[in-house]
This record gives sequence, structure tokens and C-alpha cells, in this order.
Amino acid sequence: MEAQVIAQWQEEMNRNLRRMMNFAELMNQKEPLVGQSPRQEIYRKGKARLYRYESTRRYRTPVLFVPNLGISRPYVFDLLPGGSFVEHMTREGFDFYLLDWGVFGPEDNSLTLEDCVVRILPRMARKVLEGSKADEVTLLGYCMGGPLSACFIATHPEIPVKNFINMAGPIDFSKAGHFALWLNPKYFDADKFVDTLGQIPAEMVKAGFKLLKPTMDLSTGLNLWWNLWNDSYLTGFRALNKWANEYVAFPGEFFRQWVKEFYQQNRMLRGELRLGGKAVRLRDIRCPVFVVGAKEDYIAPASCVKALIDAVGSTDKGYVELPGGHISLIAGRTAAVHCWPKVSGWLGPRS
Amino acid sequence: MMVDNSGTQALFDLWKKQIEEGTQAWTRLVGQTAQAGQGQAPDPLQFWRPFMDAGIAGWTKLLTQGPPTPELLTQWKQFLDQWITAWGKVLEQAMGTEAFAQALGKYLDQWLSIQAPVKKIAEESTEATLQALGMPSRNQVVGIARQMVDLEDRIEGLEDRLGALLARMDDLFKSLADHEAAAARRAAERVAQ
Repeated sequence: MEAQVIAQWQEEMNRNLRRMMNFAELMNQKEPLVGQSPRQEIYRKGKARLYRYESTRRYRTPVLFVPNLGISRPYVFDLLPGGSFVEHMTREGFDFYLLDWGVFGPEDNSLTLEDCVVRILPRMARKVLEGSKADEVTLLGYCMGGPLSACFIATHPEIPVKNFINMAGPIDFSKAGHFALWLNPKYFDADKFVDTLGQIPAEMVKAGFKLLKPTMDLSTGLNLWWNLWNDSYLTGFRALNKWANEYVAFPGEFFRQWVKEFYQQNRMLRGELRLGGKAVRLRDIRCPVFVVGAKEDYIAPASCVKALIDAVGSTDKGYVELPGGHISLIAGRTAAVHCWPKVSGWLGPRS
Repeated sequence: MMVDNSGTQALFDLWKKQIEEGTQAWTRLVGQTAQAGQGQAPDPLQFWRPFMDAGIAGWTKLLTQGPPTPELLTQWKQFLDQWITAWGKVLEQAMGTEAFAQALGKYLDQWLSIQAPVKKIAEESTEATLQALGMPSRNQVVGIARQMVDLEDRIEGLEDRLGALLARMDDLFKSLADHEAAAARRAAERVAQ
């Protein structure tokens, strides 16, 4: 019994030694390598870039992945070999395209949400169709990319969209949690904000998200110390930590429209939104729709995401609610087990 | 055999102290929310009961077992995780109130009121310095960048029109070629007759 306890303490001491060594390594090492899947830039418009990833194409219909604009960089979807959503999709045989909205500066302040839906997305979708020589395209929106894609599909019936997947994209903003409350027009003057600051600086975006989960840094630090002896945990941590500290500013006019028309007035779901002179009616989306919500998502709560199911005019539609938060839904070990196979499994037979 | 549990006892005391201080801080927070005119006060047991139950069970096990093992550290990590989770829930509830949203909005409004003149002075002074040095100002550079974006849009518009025109011409040439082929076929048939 005593020998067993001594052995256990020895093992613990070894772990502590590794913790110290890895901590020194963590302090000294250069930036981790992220976004390593081979890809090719096939089009650029302003700051936006369209990338096509190498794949052994099994399915005819290409996938255009539309992530959030501003806030963070899209390499989280291709974080590390073996832990990458992009890698999973290309390995499954999808001709996969990623729209990177870019990093915005003051010169982009006049970019509106309407520009994104009416000018950028249609062009990107056409480039995907040209590049893959396909007749139809699948739209896969994540986070803010979900409502942006929904607006685009609803207002561009001339672009042949075969399927639409919304992952953690907010739809019913009356259920958008703390952000909906804090951005309530009674308390938050979006016009004053944009008129004063021009763009919404990355530091301010960071402060907003940190406020949403103030204990996050504490639990991240604690878990890091606890797992610091584990080399593979450390590799994942370094990559994710790089991403988690790289915030992207919002173009001022985009932020104004996003906050006022979506968060404050919920115009998309109410059918009162107009973009490019056209009414956005979610009922006009008739292609197969798949919605993925996360159980512990405090940015886009599951009920807010799920609202798309009732809003669209599609007959082939499905909803799953998976474990995890807004990011862990799509990035990380849990996502690889719970989310990615569900998405590729639903999409494969429809592509 | 006597079991030396003094180290475990010290950790238990520390844990108990954290709980007491946490509860006190939580009570203060609730008091402030109530003062701010909020209706229903949150129930303290909702957050702390599961945490305390798990804690008591864990400590009971540790205090009654033999010599301390590294499991003690695992238990301690679990306590900290639960403590953070409980605090997370407390803060989440406090920040999900109208009072918090109002206070945040007021703070941001005041911050913007201070920020606006500071930003204006900083911009004017930078502009003046750059002008004195004979360099383009930030606004001028931004203006050029915007012009480039507009130009890019126009070129793309032209590309689209050219593409549409070429596609139409292709269709025309194709139908012309089909027409000519049909005419040649008819002529050949006439000759054959």
C-alpha cells in the first residue's frame, strides 16, 4: 500500500518536472504553425480572399464556407493537422472553399453588411462555381456567416444553392443572450459608437467577448497548469491561444447595421430587412437546410440558432444540438467526435 | 495506526474559507442588484449547493482514507473547477440583469463622451504634424484606399459586362455556325436530289 502511494507521488513529481520544462518552452517558443492545409487563393475582392483547399474530390457540389466577419481569424477552422475542420471536410471528399473576410483597417469603415451580401458573397459563389465547374454550390455559414449566408440565399435566387448549413449562426436575435440585452437600444447607442470611433477597434471587440465570460481566462490558466505536463495538450493550447488572442476590428458601418437591424430590431427574422433593394424573406430559402446549435453557446444560444428551421421554406430540413460552446462546436477534440461527422454525414448524400 | 491528515485538514480549512468568502461576496452582489431596483433576487442555493455537496463528499473521502495520495491534487483541481463554475454562474446572472446593462451602457456613453474630444485633438495634431513634414495625412491615405476599392468595383463591373458580352457573342457565333451548317446540309441535299 505504502509502496503504491510512493510510486504515485513519484509519478506526480515527474509530471511537475515536465510542467516546469514545458512552461519554459511555452515562454521561449516562437509562434505556433496554424492553418497548414494546402490551399490556393483563387480570388480576392478588397480585403476578402477566397481559398480553395486541396482534396480528393468525391462529391460534385462544392462547399463555400462563410465564417464570421471581424472578431477573429478563420484559421481556427484549420488549426492543427489532425484537429482541423477543413482537413476533415477535404478528407471526406468535398471540394472546399473558404471565404476569409480579412483584417479591417480604417479604410474599410464604409463597408456595410449590405455590401457583403449584395457585392461580395454573390461574386464569391460565382467564383466557386467557375472554379469547381459545378452547377450548384453548398453554403456553410458559421456564426455571423450563418445570417449573412441566409440573407444572400434569400435575395439571390439566380445563384444555384444546393444546400445550406448554419452552424451556430444567430437568427432570432430576441434570444441572443447577454449581447442582445447589452446592445438593447435603451442602453446602447450604436450611432454614437460608430460616429465617435469610426471602426470598432480589436481591443474593444476583445473586451466585449471577455466580459461575456469573465471566468474564462481563470479556467484556461488553471487547465493549462493542470495539463502542462502533457505535450499534445500543450501543442493544442499554443495554437488555440494564438487564435484566442488575435481579435479583428469591425468596420464601422458594418457594425452599425449589424447591431441596429439585427440585434436591436431583429429585422431579418421579422421579414422587414431589405438589402440591395430586395426584401430578405427567409421563407424564400427552399433548398435543404441543416442547422447545428451548441448546448453551451453563450454567444449564439441554441434557441436563437434553431429559429432558422421554422423560418425557411425548405421541406428537407434538420436540426441537431451538440455538446460544446460557440468555438468548441467546430474546433477541437469534441468537435471532431460530435460535430464534423454529423455535418459531412448530412451533406454527403446531398452533394 | 494513527493517520497524519494535518496537510489534508489545512487544505480543507482553505476550501471552507473560500466558500465562506464566496458566499459573502455573492450576498453583497445580490444586495447591490436588489438596491438597483431588481425584482426577484436570485437563489444562492442554486449555485452553491451542488458545489458544496460535491466538495463535502470529496473531503469526507479524503479525510477518512490513509496516507495522502496525489488524488488529493485531483480533488483540489475539481474544487477549483467547481468554484470557477459557480462564480461563472453568479456573474452570468448578475450581468444578465437590466441593471447591469444600464450601468454598462452608461459607462460606455461616458467613455465615448471623453473619447470623442481626445480622439479629435489627437487626429488634428497628427494631421498637422504630417502636413508640416510634407507627408500625406491618414485621411488622404484612407481616401486613396477607398478610391482603389471603388476602382476595383468598377473594373469588376466591366469584367462582368465583358464576360456577359463574350458569352452572348459565343452564343451568336454558335447559332450562326449551326445556321450555316444547316444551310450547307440543305444545299447538299438539293444537289443530291
